[in-house]
Formats: sequence, structure tokens, C-alpha cells
Amino acid sequence: MAATTRLLLTGATTPIGISLLRALLDDPAIEHIIAVGREPAGALGLPLGERLSYEVSDLRRSRARRHLLFGPAKERAVTAVIHAALHRRAQDSGRQIHDLNVEATRELLHLAERHPTIERFIFRSSAAVYRIVADKPSMIDEEHPLNLGPEAPQWIRDRVEADLTVCTHMGLSRLKILVLRCAECPTPNAGSQLYDYLQAPVCLRSLGFDPMLNLLSLADGTRSLRLALACECEGILNIPGADTLPLSRVIAASGRRVVSLPEPLLAPLYRLRTAMVGSDFRYDLNSWRFHFSGVLDGRRASAVLGYCPQEPLQWPL
Amino acid sequence: MSELVAPTLLDRIAARARTALPPAWKRQVDGLRYDDAGHGYDPLGLHPGTVAAGASALRFLYERYFRVRSHGVANIPSDGPAILASNHSGGLPFDGSMIYLDVLRRSDPPRVLRPVMDHFVPGLPFVSTFFARIGAIAGSRGNVRYALEQGELLLIFPEGTDGIGKRFAQRYQLQRWRVGHVELAIRYRAPVVPVAVIGAEEQMPQLGRLEGVHIMGIPYVPLLLSPLPLPVRYHIYYGAPIDFSDRYSSADADDPEKVAVAASEVKRAVARLVAKGLDDREGVFR
Repeated sequence: MAATTRLLLTGATTPIGISLLRALLDDPAIEHIIAVGREPAGALGLPLGERLSYEVSDLRRSRARRHLLFGPAKERAVTAVIHAALHRRAQDSGRQIHDLNVEATRELLHLAERHPTIERFIFRSSAAVYRIVADKPSMIDEEHPLNLGPEAPQWIRDRVEADLTVCTHMGLSRLKILVLRCAECPTPNAGSQLYDYLQAPVCLRSLGFDPMLNLLSLADGTRSLRLALACECEGILNIPGADTLPLSRVIAASGRRVVSLPEPLLAPLYRLRTAMVGSDFRYDLNSWRFHFSGVLDGRRASAVLGYCPQEPLQWPL
Repeated sequence: MSELVAPTLLDRIAARARTALPPAWKRQVDGLRYDDAGHGYDPLGLHPGTVAAGASALRFLYERYFRVRSHGVANIPSDGPAILASNHSGGLPFDGSMIYLDVLRRSDPPRVLRPVMDHFVPGLPFVSTFFARIGAIAGSRGNVRYALEQGELLLIFPEGTDGIGKRFAQRYQLQRWRVGHVELAIRYRAPVVPVAVIGAEEQMPQLGRLEGVHIMGIPYVPLLLSPLPLPVRYHIYYGAPIDFSDRYSSADADDPEKVAVAASEVKRAVARLVAKGLDDREGVFR
């Protein structure tokens, strides 16, 4: 399947990273993968060897990024970078988080442009970059406005900035650049706000609103990246999932109880919950999409990549 | 998923509503085609169970209260994208509800109408959710484009809030006629079916309106003579479809002059239907 045979994957210890590695290792055409993560190699849970190596690297540091691309990636003559390393915890903020989310993306891209063998740069972005408001379409195509509002928390601002940083190089760089804006994958340790939201036995939602959500399974997320590797295309593509359903159904399918409350009460209640039990869910990150529908329109990915969502989530999550 | 999840309150209401519908309505609701995105909802939020519940709840208004009579329902295309463009009036959008129910009840094969809502409606609690479940679409360009590309049947009121907010003295006078519906029709090769609603313009005579009061984004507060709609009789006329595809190319949708000419044609067609309806009518309540 893969046109690329030697690649570097950041964010390798995330669920999507591990799932992609497993899939790629099953593909005999893949010669070598350099998996990159901050955790020790054991976190990968995969045997290292001739076709898979692991680099512990702190991508917040410029020196580490340079070493990665002009050390192991040059030795192995990798031809593609899949950048999927974004900070997952929504409660964290600050300069170091920004360095990982944005500066690492920016510099990896610059370094890849100067690299002798890298030809492709695939950035795994997310649907969180889109602005969801009442007067904008609920069917979100790639031209949809991004969430550039000054009120957006750093978690979102960083994602938008990283996405735009990559997008601004399209057509100007010698690299073939592909940005995949993936629907939320409600999986543990994937930075999914919805997954964290559903960990509470009682889920609070805004009274009178029941927006449509689109969710991506790990299998479909993995497949979209494999198709991206196999494709020579560049551009921005939405990657929707096979599950499109209202928030109330998501909560019911997860076996949780729902209590609908007036909107102004929700943010303080969730802040209180975070203070008491340490949840990673932040209502301020999700308030708009818990009001207004936002469903990714994946027709461009279907036409360009041949990607159509096939694997629904296994419920309950 | 449905096997794993206990039915929600909405599921129970929908099931009950469906069984409570008379056979003719049930047959129509059961025959609806929609783009199931996997959980019984289409990507824009349509839920056939809620359509059944809505039909069950509003059937009384359609059959008994407004005693709707419609003419020319065969002019509604049985398949593919189309836009119904209607006059708009009445203080509250009962005209949209009655056209919606009429299409649901009488279209063959059954089609569900996708009314295009004004921008402020998605911000209204409960209303926005109910409207989305029965098939209404938030009136942004992206949603409408998606719906037309999916071959949906849209309902657009080109007069917008100017129409629904017109004073009693202005009844049956078409207000400023927006051109967006024609632009869409030309771009997406969708025929426009002119529609006239007779009766709605007398249902809640409007004396004036409070400007500058924008509760939850509502553009104004109407001052109505009657707090409830009067039991006027509704007559709905569907005119012959206007197909612009033989005269305009998709690129002509970007030409303001051509779009304005085409919009005038639709406006004239609606005005003719309104005039015919008023001529044929024997009385406001008859």
C-alpha cells in the first residue's frame, strides 16, 4: 500500500501512533520506521529491530529536533515525516506546551525542507481547529473558518497555529505537504476531551441543545494515515469518522446519565469537578461544540485519498 | 449501537408518535428516504422518529385547525435537488410548518422538506434541536450547498424576516426578495418551485414591532393583535418548476445581474400564484 518505505513518526506512543506502527509493520513494503516519543521504548509495546527503531526525543528542544532529522533520519534516508505529536493534556498550558505544539511543528517542517531525502510531510491536525458557531455551517468542509478568536484557550490556539504554520508552506515548499484534520477519536490517552467528559458517571450538558458530533475510530484514523502515506497528493483534508450522532446519544451509548442545566452553570461546575477529582475535561474548550453541530465533510478526502470512514466505534467507549 | 443502548426519551416518544399516526401518514413517514449517518440521524441532524413525532403533534393544526388545502403538489420533483420558494408571513412561521407537513403528507414518493432557517434560530434552545431533528437546516451557505449536493428538497423564504414581520396592511405584498435561492438554484442546477401560501397572512395580524430588542438573537419582537393564530384556512399552491439550467451555466451564479433577473422571475411566479389563490379563495376562514 505504502509509496513511502522509510519514514519518521512523531507521537509514536500515542494510541494512534502505536496503531499506525502495527499497521505499517504488517506492510512488507515498509523498510524502516523511526518512531519518536518522549517515553522509554517500552511504552511502544512493539519489538524493535530491523524495520522499527525508537528514538527518545524531547521535541520541545530545538537541539533534539535537529539531532532527530539530521541524525537518525538522515542515516536511514527517510523520505516522509508523519508529525502527530501534540500535547494531549488540556489542563496544561504555558511556553513549553506551545514549544511542543507549535515550535516543534514549525522547525520540523523547516528542517525537513533542508533534509536531503525527505520529500513528504504529513501533519495530523484535528477538527478542534474549526470555529463552531451558530451562523457557520454545521457541515464543516476544509474552507470552514478556523478558531482564531482571542478567547480561545491555548489548547485550541496552539492547534490552530500549528495547522496554519504547516498550511502556509503548501505550494511554496519543495515538500509535498498534507494536513489531515481528523475528527475526534474518543480513546484513552489520545487527548480526547469527549472521552474525558464521558468518564464522569453523570454528564452535564447545556439545556435545550443537542448538537451532532462526528467521531473517528482508531482503525479509521490509522487507515487515513496509511492512505496519506500511499498518496502523492498535498493539501488539507478532513478525516471524518463513521459515527455521526447527537451528544445525547453519545452519552446514552456510553452508559452515562445526563443532566441538562442552563449554560452559565456548566463551566463553574466542571471547574469544580476538575479541582476535586482532577479530570482533564475543560468545558470552556467544548462549550461551542456542545451547543452547535459540527460534522466534518469528508468528501475531499474521499476524492483525493479514497478515504471513507468504515469502522464505527465500539460502544460503549 | 441501538442494541446496546437503552431507548432514550426521544426514542420512546418517536415510537409512540409513529404508532399514533393514521395509516396514510405512517406510510409516508415510513417511506422517507434519508442519508442515515449510522445511528438513525443524517449528518445535518434529521431523525425520522422526530419527524413522526412532529407530524403527530402538528397534524391537528394541518388537518383541523388550518384545514390545509394544497394545489399542484405534482409540481414537486419526486427526486433530486429542488428549492421551494414561498411567500412568508404570519408573525410565527406556521406557513413553513404547513408546507412541511403538506409535502410530507402528499409527496409521492414521500420526501422530507428541508426548511432553511434564519441565522438566529440555531441559537434558540429546544427550538433549534427540534427543528434540526425534523430536517430544518441552519441557513449558512455550506449547509445549503451540502444539502443540494445530496439531492435534498429545500424550502426557502426569500423575503426572510421582512416577510414574516410584515404588517397587516402589507399582507400579500411581497417584500424585499432576496436572491440567494436563485444563486443556489443556478449553481447547483436545482429547479425552483414557486409556492404561494394563502391564509397565513391573516392568521396573526401584526400591528407593529419592537425594534432593538434581540432576545437570543431574535431580530425584533412582533406586536400581534392575537396571541394565538386565528383558524384561517390555508391554501398552498405549488407552481410549475422553473428550471434555470437550460438558460444559465453554473458560473452565472456569480453574475449579480443574471441572478437578479432570475430572482425577479421567481418573484413574479410567486406573485401570480398569490393572486390566483386570492381570486379563488371564498373567504379567510373558508
